[in-house]
Amino acid sequence: MKKSITSGLQLLAFCVAASTSAATSSLADGHLTLEGKKIGVAVVGTQHFWDREAFNGALDTVKKLGGEPVPVDGGRDNQVHADNHDILLNNKVDAVISILGDGAVEPKFEALKTAGIPVFTVDHLSPHGINNTTSDNYYMGTTIGRYMADAIGGKGRVAIFNAFEGALRICGIRSGLWKYVLQDYPQIEIIQPELAEAFANAPEDARKKTLDLLNQHPKGSLDAIHVGCWDQPAIGVVQALEEAGRTEVKVTALDGGPETLEIMAEENSPFVANVAQQPRKIGATAAMNAARFFAGETLLPQTFVEVKPVNGPEEAKAVYKELGYGELK
Amino acid sequence: MSADPDILMLKGISKAFPGVQALEGATLCVAAGEVHGLVGENGAGKSTIIKIIAGVYDRDAGTMSIDGRHFDHVSPQGVHDAGVRFIHQELHLVPHFTVAESVFMGQEVTGKFGLKRKTMRLRAEAFLRDVLNTRISGDTLIRDLGIAERKLVQIARALIDDEAKIVVFDEPTAPLASSEIEQVFQAIRGLQERGIAMIYVSHYLGEITDICDRVTVFRNGRDVAVLDEVTEDSSDSIIRHMVGRDIEALYPEIHHKVGEPVLEVAGLGDGRKFFGVDLTVGKGELVGIAGLIGSGREELTDTIYGLNQPTTGTMTMDGVPNRFASPADAVGKGIVLVPRDRRHDGLVLDFTVADNINLASLEQVAVSILEDRSAAAKRAEKLAEQIDIRPRDPDAIARFLSGGNQQKVVLARWLATGAKLFILDEPTVGVDIGAKVEIYQLIEKLTAQGAGVIVSSSDPAELLGICDRIVVMLRGRVVANEAARSLTLDSLTALTTHSNPAEVLA
Amino acid sequence: MTSRTAREPRRFGVPSLSAMAGYLPLVIFVCLLGYLSVVSSNFLTFPTFDLILRQAVPTTIVCLGLSIVVMAGGDDVVSGGIDLSIPAVAVLAAAIIADQLTNHAASLAVALPLALMAALLVGAVNAMLVVRIGMTPLLATLSTSVAVVGIVKVVTSSRRINVDHPAVVWLRDGTIGGVSSGVVLTLVFFGVFFFIAHRTRWGLNLQAVGGSRDAAEVSGIPVSRFVALSFIIAGFAGGLAAMFILARGSGSTPGTEENLLLEMVLATFLGSAFSPRRVVTLWGAILGAVLVSALSIGFKSIGVNVFWTGCIKGALILIVVASASLSAKFDRRKTAI
Repeated sequence: MKKSITSGLQLLAFCVAASTSAATSSLADGHLTLEGKKIGVAVVGTQHFWDREAFNGALDTVKKLGGEPVPVDGGRDNQVHADNHDILLNNKVDAVISILGDGAVEPKFEALKTAGIPVFTVDHLSPHGINNTTSDNYYMGTTIGRYMADAIGGKGRVAIFNAFEGALRICGIRSGLWKYVLQDYPQIEIIQPELAEAFANAPEDARKKTLDLLNQHPKGSLDAIHVGCWDQPAIGVVQALEEAGRTEVKVTALDGGPETLEIMAEENSPFVANVAQQPRKIGATAAMNAARFFAGETLLPQTFVEVKPVNGPEEAKAVYKELGYGELK
Repeated sequence: MSADPDILMLKGISKAFPGVQALEGATLCVAAGEVHGLVGENGAGKSTIIKIIAGVYDRDAGTMSIDGRHFDHVSPQGVHDAGVRFIHQELHLVPHFTVAESVFMGQEVTGKFGLKRKTMRLRAEAFLRDVLNTRISGDTLIRDLGIAERKLVQIARALIDDEAKIVVFDEPTAPLASSEIEQVFQAIRGLQERGIAMIYVSHYLGEITDICDRVTVFRNGRDVAVLDEVTEDSSDSIIRHMVGRDIEALYPEIHHKVGEPVLEVAGLGDGRKFFGVDLTVGKGELVGIAGLIGSGREELTDTIYGLNQPTTGTMTMDGVPNRFASPADAVGKGIVLVPRDRRHDGLVLDFTVADNINLASLEQVAVSILEDRSAAAKRAEKLAEQIDIRPRDPDAIARFLSGGNQQKVVLARWLATGAKLFILDEPTVGVDIGAKVEIYQLIEKLTAQGAGVIVSSSDPAELLGICDRIVVMLRGRVVANEAARSLTLDSLTALTTHSNPAEVLA
Repeated sequence: MTSRTAREPRRFGVPSLSAMAGYLPLVIFVCLLGYLSVVSSNFLTFPTFDLILRQAVPTTIVCLGLSIVVMAGGDDVVSGGIDLSIPAVAVLAAAIIADQLTNHAASLAVALPLALMAALLVGAVNAMLVVRIGMTPLLATLSTSVAVVGIVKVVTSSRRINVDHPAVVWLRDGTIGGVSSGVVLTLVFFGVFFFIAHRTRWGLNLQAVGGSRDAAEVSGIPVSRFVALSFIIAGFAGGLAAMFILARGSGSTPGTEENLLLEMVLATFLGSAFSPRRVVTLWGAILGAVLVSALSIGFKSIGVNVFWTGCIKGALILIVVASASLSAKFDRRKTAI
């Protein structure tokens, strides 16, 4: 018993050390290079801050390391994103960094693997990839669960936008752990059926769906709306709440890009909690991992990049500044 | 001729429509191997009897037989099976189809492996060559053919099954240039050699006397004459039978004082529909433009009004050289066109009478930007009274007025604008006699105000009745420009229907 | 007069103004492809060609359906025949199949007929709206498209459904004689459609209806029946495309219809530039689909920003439609009566 606790602690310590060292050591790895390598960088879209930052982080790092990036952009269409991997395969790249994507990319990863092209994924855990760089989704899921429960005083009715729980593993982790936390709050009820946000044009789609939701659940019967896997829909959710004058409903979400942090920092914002990621660093880390792979280093299946919990407007301002997005008053 | 048994016999045919007796005991007999002309003025009953043959209308009285077989009731399928074919004025062809595909449209030849394109092509070419005396490749696209050739393809389509006994041509040369007519005539002669009976309906009397063996003249729903011998000189006698009536005392007395020229047009042409037109309209003068449909009348007036741009010629307005870039430009310079299709072009059908009247002269009733509703209403009411629009309700919706009253609304609108030149295109089409008289009186008011007026009309009697001077157009050219009193109904009809402009121009 | 009666077909003659306007999109496409093959070293290789064909499969099949509708309705984009709902129908059928296979563990023998029936039903609704109620095809099919996308959301709850049915996997990865099975099957479908539309009396009558409704009516062709059937066939084509959409995405993803719609319209109307008669044909449609796919892949191979690709595709649609209008305008001028 004692042994298992110590080994557990050791494991935890190792994990923390690994994640922080991955984050900090990446800049110190002067020996790493992608000289003469063609690196395909596939991203599902570049409309959203997170996607764009991760994409640019990967591209910049590939270039910095002397590699030749081959960028392809799915235009926020998972199908096109998947098809783009065929083009990379056909272009005979040396490695592929693939950012996001749903189940449609799996056969493409498999084909790349069969052709001997290593795949480094971002926010997409795949059996055919070498390594997945991601935020600590476990921590994100549980933290946002706790923050939301606190924000509504540990009881009430909450709705969740949860379109991707089944299609994307990271989303499964985030919403799954959010629900896991809520199991300990028997007075919190999750409204069924769960809502499904659109992948493209998410804010507008979520705005409409929220307005419908507010009609169905009058004042007093809805306490919070949570977006399970990201926070672009939350922009539309907040809009809808303000339009309908229902800002008593709390909003929580994940990702914490500058737009959503700005909304959180506004006075009396219903958007109360978030967990901010560092997408640029994630993209850069994926590129570093590709270089490590070519340098013969052993990579763990996943590399975790540090996240910043955001609880309330003051923390939103602080994180905004800390992540280099500027200054919020 | 009368000894030959006629293949098509219609005797004592009557047909009435609500308010109109279209046919009254008319007879039409056509023999095998003859080209039988059918002529008459608009409304004489030509198209009604053709539609009775086609089975489109049921006759009220009379008998019809084809090839000795009596038809009590005629269905379109029945006459088709009896070997009657119709060559409509419209070509009805698909521009991107080949000649072969067009000829066999709806009766394609197929085999085990689908269409037999080669068979169709060879048969179409053979038919055009052997029967219609024309060589056209079966692979040519319709849109690459001249109009005459398209007409021949249309004829071939109707006759390719080789079962035609009677062919009815409705104005087959109307869209053709005069140089193309002979090609169609050759085809008709080819059919004649095969013993096919043909009815040839046309306004062009020159062509009728050229191609027809016999002619039946219709007037007021009856066959007033059958000419068994047709020569070049038959035109006069045909016209006499066609007109055969006095001009009703429908028209006002005319005493126009013609002043300085308002509009002078010299050598105007659009390169396609009319060529080298000279025309002068003086102040207070009423000039008529006569001509068949397709003579270039409409295009000429549209061009003067700025709807189309001329390619040649000059226009002078009030002594100042001018060309109108757009109708708005023309209106600004004091020219107004009252279009032939008032329902489409002249009226906003869902507006009230008052709004329609005020449409053209909003600036007169507008106070700054806002429309002054009460001033507008008053003005409209006054005008409606002045021109006697019934019902006398400025708030009536234009759509529900009769044709004559709609036309009066359109005229009323322009009356108040004080324009210098009015162009009226078919001002009395579809208008009853009573309304006609009122419209003529309105036109008189325009000239009395000192405005120049151009009336373009296909009714020669109307032009003779109201105009000072008449310009006759034929196939795009002015063939006569005469004082109205020096013309008669016969001579004017002869001018508009002559098929050989060279003769007239000489 | 008689001197100009003996005429040869103009196919090899000096191109007229209208012909040149009609070929403009083709010329632009060929230039773009030429540019791509110079810039991207491996553009002119067999694997690229194979990839182009495979990615063109769903577009090609919906194009077959749209071509039939355009043939029956005429190629005027606004008032003529058009069916914007085919991609939505395809996505609906894909969603039904995916839902049945994955969520209800049904067999393909149940799922596929169900999906095809739904597709035919939408086709029948379009036919009724256009022929019976007299709506403009553009408006009618736009409305059904929106409605069908709504149904897709209901069926799938806006969620992706993974499919790993062997038939779908075979369509994705399988080959017949070294060629992708999807490509081979598409060629078979094309062959059937082609025979019907271009080698039978029925097909010629269909084109007559689109070419001139009056001409068809005068020739005794039942116009409304052909127009109605064209929409039902288009629905069927959408149903066929479903299996290939599933294969391409290894499942059904909401939102797939948008890109498909764009490529379908572009490919079909681009295809008319291939036809000597400059009308929409099945040959043109399939070549258009391949060309559009080639361009998409080519641009990505040389790293053109996806937003620019959108701009370029939009500009190409404009050029295609504008040159069709120009061509028609010159034709009218030439044949003015």
